[in-house]
Amino acid sequence: MNRAGFGGSPAEITRLVGLGPDPAVASLLDYELIPDPTPNPDWAHPDPERMQREQDVRKSGTPEARRQLQMEENQSIQRSMIELRGWWLRRMAYGPRPFQEKMVLFWHGHFATSMDKVRDPYYMWRQNELFRRLATGNWELLLLEAGQDPAMLIWLDQAQSRKAHPNENFAREVMELFSLGEGHYTEHDITEAARAFTGWSLDRLSQQYVYRPFIHDDGEKVVLGRRGDLNGADVIAQIVAQPQAARFITAKLWNYFAGEMPSPELNTALAGVFRESGNTFKPFLRVMFRSAEFYDASLIRNQVKSPVQWLVGSVRMLECELPPPLVSMGMLRQLGQDLFAPPNVKGWDGGITWITTNTLLTRYNDAQSLVRGTVPNLSAADLARKAGGQGGQVAAHIAQSLRMGGVDPDKILTPTERANKNELVAALERRLLQAPLSGDQEDILNQFLAPRPQLNHDDILNVIRLVMSTPEYQVA
Amino acid sequence: MKNEISLQTRRQFLRTTMLGSALSWTVPAFLAETFNALHAQAADAATQFATGKDSTILVVLQMAGGNDGINTVVPYSSDYYRQARPHLGLTAEQVLKVNGDIGFHSALTGFKDLYDAGRLSVIQGVGYPNPNRSHFRSTEIWQTASDEDKIEKYGWLGRYFDNACAGSDPAVGVTIGSQLPEAFFARQPRGIVFNNPQNYRFLSGAHPRPGETDLTEDSYKKLNELEMSNPQPDDNSGGSIGSLPAGMPMQGGRAVDFITRTAMDAQMSSEEVRAIAARVKNQAVFPASQLGNSLGLVSKLIGGGLPTRVYYVSQGGYDTHTNQVGTQQRLLQDLGDSLKSFVADLQAQGNLSRVLVMTFSEFGRRVAENASGGTDHGAAAPVFVIGDRVKAGLLGRYPSLAPADLYEGDIRYNVDFRSVYAAVLEDWLKTPSAPILGRQFTPLKVV
Repeated sequence: MNRAGFGGSPAEITRLVGLGPDPAVASLLDYELIPDPTPNPDWAHPDPERMQREQDVRKSGTPEARRQLQMEENQSIQRSMIELRGWWLRRMAYGPRPFQEKMVLFWHGHFATSMDKVRDPYYMWRQNELFRRLATGNWELLLLEAGQDPAMLIWLDQAQSRKAHPNENFAREVMELFSLGEGHYTEHDITEAARAFTGWSLDRLSQQYVYRPFIHDDGEKVVLGRRGDLNGADVIAQIVAQPQAARFITAKLWNYFAGEMPSPELNTALAGVFRESGNTFKPFLRVMFRSAEFYDASLIRNQVKSPVQWLVGSVRMLECELPPPLVSMGMLRQLGQDLFAPPNVKGWDGGITWITTNTLLTRYNDAQSLVRGTVPNLSAADLARKAGGQGGQVAAHIAQSLRMGGVDPDKILTPTERANKNELVAALERRLLQAPLSGDQEDILNQFLAPRPQLNHDDILNVIRLVMSTPEYQVA
Repeated sequence: MKNEISLQTRRQFLRTTMLGSALSWTVPAFLAETFNALHAQAADAATQFATGKDSTILVVLQMAGGNDGINTVVPYSSDYYRQARPHLGLTAEQVLKVNGDIGFHSALTGFKDLYDAGRLSVIQGVGYPNPNRSHFRSTEIWQTASDEDKIEKYGWLGRYFDNACAGSDPAVGVTIGSQLPEAFFARQPRGIVFNNPQNYRFLSGAHPRPGETDLTEDSYKKLNELEMSNPQPDDNSGGSIGSLPAGMPMQGGRAVDFITRTAMDAQMSSEEVRAIAARVKNQAVFPASQLGNSLGLVSKLIGGGLPTRVYYVSQGGYDTHTNQVGTQQRLLQDLGDSLKSFVADLQAQGNLSRVLVMTFSEFGRRVAENASGGTDHGAAAPVFVIGDRVKAGLLGRYPSLAPADLYEGDIRYNVDFRSVYAAVLEDWLKTPSAPILGRQFTPLKVV
């Protein structure tokens, strides 16, 4: 459940285990059978007036007026982006389809696209929905649609590529980072593919992909051994036809779910299953989650939780509220995983690179914020800037929006567990670690509680925070 | 583990107490290696322990994204330049002239001042054979000092730490940021990372009276210590994480062991870093940019005597496929101004002669501009080395921009970046470079 979703309470885990292996996997993977009534953000639609507003900003008279308009536009973007992050995190934490969201998170890291360059919340939401719609579908279709989606057209400059000077950015990354990996294509393949992709463009008025024949290079090209007047879709098809394409994406998925790269032999087997599944993810993942290799002892409790996994998983295990979007965003940014703003086209490195002296201390301190419902140590100025406002009214609004829930010991612990120190520690180990701590660590927690003859909520919250402030809590 | 042990005691404990003990308990593999290295070091009394408190210091500044070197150090008199850059080309009037052919981008007033003061060395045309135009691969090549066709697991600075700083303080390498750069990846991962010193601590939430122990903090420290009292079954037999795709390779350790080690490094360094940042004041004014803040902080830490040999800072945004003019202007202004302030601050402290700054970018950009007002990924580019003991001026020669001399549209390198690394390692950090770089590169005469 930690691997295929975002963790859960002991009751949820017990329910899943009770189903038996095949139905349990199916209950996660066959998410289409579960209705998802989550409404879209109310701004999540094309906005033809945006172009007009942008023109107004440029044309309007004085520099002060221009700055003012620009500032309002920026603030509106910031607000929507905060809302979008909250919207997605809620889907992960409380939505009916955790596995689908886990896949959306994978695709976001894979096709790592940043708001910093795209600068349009609608496009970022739209790409997120594309990942959701095609989360476990066909690989060729996903590559094609992701490549033609506005966010990607902007992110890798394809929208600006012209027949006379093809821009190589998308052509390179689609092979290097999205499908084949370094060393499985030549520089020549890239320049040729860049020619083939010309014509893929963005209509900024309708805010949709558009094919522009007059900027397409319709000469002969050779890409990965295929010759002809190739267009972008031909290149994608030729990429997916490479045996390496199946090896590349299955290795990356295995790493995402299992926590380490597969051995070459296992990768060959995974790629074979993927090919037999018609390069479609759902059947491949079903086999993967039922394979003996996935449950190998060496993989268990050896995957560093990503910051999103850490935050959403903590909220689910503690049965508490997700912090308000602004706070969640601030936490994730400090932990190194700002959603919709990956560090570069390669996405997040993941694994043990999530852990530095800085991010580890931040995890331990954010644990306190979650448990106590206090706002973490973010600078007020930074928050105000992100919220896009100034002055007392905005400050009041921020204070309001930062109200956090905290953990209720009465909700997650029985009266016996709350009263008995040994039972308390055991219950928290089950809930938070799904495994016992070492004897030494248990002794340390018992010594911490020793001066307390009667446990109160404050003591219990402290112990919860301490369990979360261990190396063991950072892995799944 | 009954009494609170002080930071200094902890350090002593790590460095010395364990030297005397046999490794009778099972410890994670990388720690065993650390101890073995310590044993080796203790055995060799001739090996001096480099603390960094009075040693030379290297500051590495990454210009991420691939800076357009051609519009940074501009061959303004070249006809080939003007032909290749009809829109982006800078004219003689638009550059800060160094000589009749070469000038700095007009935003680099900071660099021009450093250059005129004899504190800036411009190494021209730095690159490597068969240049790779992928950000990630080329960054990896620079970070690991590998050959173009070889994958190295560890970074060049990580190998320096492994070779020359075994058993040293975790703060021997300091990264200002949130992620450890690949250059620091090491057999024994070492180095601390932080953004904001004020938040670099465990916040217990308790308010103990003076003299009273903060039980929460005390417990946190103990929970994050390696267990040494109870022998445990070998954790390392399980499997290896040696093949993470991009993350740091681990020597047969479990993730939890790595996290425990990091937690101990954090404990040991956090008090010291915060104390220095609070006590030391910058005497120069730094630009209000991320880079300005980072360099201002590094200067404080140097002034405060943190035992660091290598600092790592970065500035991003150089991937100018489109609308290059405004972006590069802003970034280079920030770069030059921040470094000029850094030098002034170090000089006011009296530490300038101990510090060397080296910049790098994963590649330069294509000679010909593209149709989007930008430039695409290229190859060789200049490297800047700053300090008051550098061989100032233009080093090497400017690569030819003549179409016949280009390699797939890019200028050819004439200085291998590893001969710059060799110079920094041998002539500045005073350590043999061959064990670190894999073979002997002739050190460029730069310091």
